[in-house]
Amino acid sequence: MKLIILILLSSFISSQIYADTIYNLIKIPNLEIYDIKTPNKLRYFYAKQPFTLGIDNNINCYNSKKEIIDKKYKIIQKNLNKYSQKFLKKINLKYIVLCEDLSISKINTAGIPDHVMKTLILDVKFNEKYFERVIHHEVFHIIYDSFEELFNEKVWTNFNVNEFKYAKCSTCTDKLGLDTYINTKGFFSEYSQSTASEDMAEVFSHLMIEKKLNNLDPILEKKIQFIKTNLLKIDENFIL
Amino acid sequence: MIEKIKPSRSEKIIFIFIVILAIFSFSSFFFIKNKCLFIKNYDPKNLEFNHPENIAILNVACGNVIIELYPEVSPKAVKRFKKLIKSKAYDNIAFHRVIKNTIVQAGDLEFGKKGYLDYGKIGTGKSGLGTINSEIDTPFDFDKGSVALARTKKYNTEDSQFFIILRDEPLFETEFTPIGKVIYGLEALYKIKYLDKSEYVLRPDFINSLRMLVN
Repeated sequence: MKLIILILLSSFISSQIYADTIYNLIKIPNLEIYDIKTPNKLRYFYAKQPFTLGIDNNINCYNSKKEIIDKKYKIIQKNLNKYSQKFLKKINLKYIVLCEDLSISKINTAGIPDHVMKTLILDVKFNEKYFERVIHHEVFHIIYDSFEELFNEKVWTNFNVNEFKYAKCSTCTDKLGLDTYINTKGFFSEYSQSTASEDMAEVFSHLMIEKKLNNLDPILEKKIQFIKTNLLKIDENFIL
Repeated sequence: MIEKIKPSRSEKIIFIFIVILAIFSFSSFFFIKNKCLFIKNYDPKNLEFNHPENIAILNVACGNVIIELYPEVSPKAVKRFKKLIKSKAYDNIAFHRVIKNTIVQAGDLEFGKKGYLDYGKIGTGKSGLGTINSEIDTPFDFDKGSVALARTKKYNTEDSQFFIILRDEPLFETEFTPIGKVIYGLEALYKIKYLDKSEYVLRPDFINSLRMLVN
């Protein structure tokens, strides 16, 4: 037993420092390059092992099977290729991390955007039905965090009818449905009614997926115009 | 009367083996001590360059490292680098951050000067010329031997510190401002002192001199 401890101890003492470039850049461990030669210079990584992040280790994500990553990557790249390199640079998005069963404080989530680290963590198995829309929803959070002054929540809230009130946070409500309403009444989905920023993200993601949105109510028309106007302030060439 | 005993065959073999071992140990002591033994020292006078005005010669313990600068890739950064070279600012500056076979970093003019090393602050020093903006938009292959300006975690904080990579680092493209590539003598940089357990080097190696080929 002593011999084993001695061997373990000596291997620890003699271990050398190695440079982990990915960790140095985005501070997420256990990642490997999936694809970095992309048209808009987005860099894709995947989790080769589970990882834990955050001050209280409250963010967790797990490695996924290669075939799942391969399959989802095609969908993710197709959607993220809609954003130009210039636009991505402006909103501060550069690194995409692919993993599964992503959670923050044990609450499952589709993605975790971090515009400071230029990173978006995506759960490759989150909501198969609306997977593509969810990608753009999470991208909007990066846009919002980078240009918070443009997406004023007070202005946005005033678009709604007076009686309506958002929840205090997106996880403080049970309004989580992502199905698109037939009769919109100011909101695209149930989740739109959680918070102003989630509402904006839902409008944006619908615009990115559905090019022709018909029979919209006047409130949603105003919200769409608000999103479009501000996106053009960020990048005059942005096309929705 | 002392009887003379003839050594056996096996004793002779052992004796020869010990003698060979002693010679090998003795000679290897000198070889190992000279870390630059198999490093070729390039003399820029014997080399031809397409753009001699963009050639910088970094002289380190094991010889010359010849760098071609790319002003067309990052004009402001190269201009800053040349300015500091011409003022001989990099002479006797430490390679304060070194990772074996990965990267060597130098250029802290404030806390990395020989005789005035400040281990508590090394890597945070300034040149006094102010920071310059990052130039990261031009496509650039960060392959082995690429030279780039270092920065803090934020963009547009480049100053005098630079690094040379000893392995391909494709993720550095659009992260760091490239200024050039080592075209001769990269092997001399693999001999720069590093520590096994820390990126930051105690009693580091120094730049002997850094000069432009054409003044």
